[in-house]
Amino acid sequence: MQASGESRGGRFLQYAAVLILAITLNFALPRLMPGNPLALLAGVDVGLLSADERAEIMAAAGLDQPLYKQYVGYWGDLLRGDLGYSYRQKRPIAEMLAQRLPWTLLLAGSALVLSTVLGSVLGALSAWRRASPLDTSLLWSMIGLNSLPSFWLGMLFIAVFAVRLGWLPAQGAVTPAAQLTGGQQALDIVRHAILPVLTLSLLSMPDLYLTVRYTLLDVIGEDFVRTATAKGLARSRILFGHVLPNAAPPIVTMAALRLGYAFGGSVVIETVFSYPGLGRLIFEAVGSRDYPVMQAAFLLFTVAVLLSNILADLLYRRLDPRLGGVHR
Amino acid sequence: MSAAASPAQPARRSRFLALSGTARAAALIGAALVLGLACMAIFAPQLSPYDPAERVGPPFSPPSPVHLLGTNDIGQDILSELIYGARVSLSVGVSAAALSTALGTVVGLLAGYYRRLEHWLMRLADIVLALPFLPLLIVLAAYVGRSLTNTVIIIGLLLWAGTARLIRSQTLALSQREFVLAAATVGCTRGRILRRHIWPHVTFLVISEFLRATTTVILLEVSLSFLGLGDPLQKSWGAMLYWAQARGAFLTPAWAWWVLPPGLSIGAVALGFALIGFALEEIVNPRLRNGNA
Repeated sequence: MQASGESRGGRFLQYAAVLILAITLNFALPRLMPGNPLALLAGVDVGLLSADERAEIMAAAGLDQPLYKQYVGYWGDLLRGDLGYSYRQKRPIAEMLAQRLPWTLLLAGSALVLSTVLGSVLGALSAWRRASPLDTSLLWSMIGLNSLPSFWLGMLFIAVFAVRLGWLPAQGAVTPAAQLTGGQQALDIVRHAILPVLTLSLLSMPDLYLTVRYTLLDVIGEDFVRTATAKGLARSRILFGHVLPNAAPPIVTMAALRLGYAFGGSVVIETVFSYPGLGRLIFEAVGSRDYPVMQAAFLLFTVAVLLSNILADLLYRRLDPRLGGVHR
Repeated sequence: MSAAASPAQPARRSRFLALSGTARAAALIGAALVLGLACMAIFAPQLSPYDPAERVGPPFSPPSPVHLLGTNDIGQDILSELIYGARVSLSVGVSAAALSTALGTVVGLLAGYYRRLEHWLMRLADIVLALPFLPLLIVLAAYVGRSLTNTVIIIGLLLWAGTARLIRSQTLALSQREFVLAAATVGCTRGRILRRHIWPHVTFLVISEFLRATTTVILLEVSLSFLGLGDPLQKSWGAMLYWAQARGAFLTPAWAWWVLPPGLSIGAVALGFALIGFALEEIVNPRLRNGNA
């Protein structure tokens, strides 16, 4: 991470640039494609629209106006929180996103916690017992795990744990049409979330493991650790007092950045598990050529990634001993 | 990147022998996997028992001597699909990785050596890195249409930024070294220094980045095909999994011959490239080999 070298203002300028680029892409894509942009802006065949609807879309996108006016109008809509209307679903897109977002947050958040804990513990074990059989086998299994398509692991989990063993539900976020309340409802949600969360965690764990292992090895090689060892300090004291505080910043930054990544990974994972989150929404929108929904979801993903970047920056500043954090 | 290495011809043989046992095993296994799958792709017409696009049996047949891996939902031979699928994975993987590595290398070299360009090129790389990769890929693929060429171009154009960052920092470090400064002092042009004195020292890094990118691209292509955004005319492993998913094959015993084989094949080819890259990294970064890091 290059967070330390740059001013806070510079970073925020960069994030603003990313957001502007994403919004501009969303604006430009339907208008740049050959053919009538109307179908792309509506997300359904023009023939299926009534004359009124056609006029409405034309007016909303300002297709009769010069391009720069359309662009200004587009920003105006976004700033008012208007993400457009899905003519296929006959619903405002903002409403659809709001309904899906909590499920993705549940999956991505739990997966982030699980993969960070597992990745850090295994990475620390590996680094502490460098070149032992444990280290080697962990390293090889992580490299192997990194080479498998995550959604395929999800399919196998369903085949084994849901179909063969019948331990967990295979699809969805809740049992359909079951009138559950309170604790039973919570249990139902947890049971449905276990397999997707596990799959999503396995997707991001190898990178975390490798970062933790490499960072710890780097710090263990530093002079102050050698000094601490020479002083005769206990191994645990060296690990917790000297190694971990110095290894924490890149690890925590990595974990925060993973949040945005886990969001992206949810597209395939939610598709496999028919989980009603944002990722599944993108998949459905692709399948039905509902371009406005696809784009709005992409924008939401961009915001999520940027927020996790900002979080990573803030954490880095607080944790890095060299940047004069509060705890030193 | 040892300081003593002659910049013109790095001695590859001795470097291979200097590797640790683990890295040498990784390189050999990786090369075997990649070569094996490459042969499968090249000789697909000779190896596969049927034309993968033809309906050659009753739909949903279980494995039998006639169809070793059974047939899919419309009666195509799964083994033949699997063999032809290697073509898509390897060709998309290698060509998109080559495109992204070439872009990243050029940007990295320019940014590392021409300080005036550095600021803008690296801001651009940061911006590309901060975009949500898979969702953007999906949106672009949905717009430009489903074909192998489009997949290659989109992935190549989005993946270069990480490579550019790495090559830039290596170039930056090299440009401060004595032999580069000396070359500049005796009047070498900047272009010549870049070509003759810096480029030979980043080639291994470039190759290792290419291998890493290939693994990434192969997995991305599979994800795109699985989401229904692959080339509809090509038999790819991702598309096989897409249909297996759409027909609920993983809810029936068919998962063992319809879901398992494509996933394992993807894993084998991605792992093959990753292992070669892993061994190469030890050459690029000798600190991993001995010393304490």
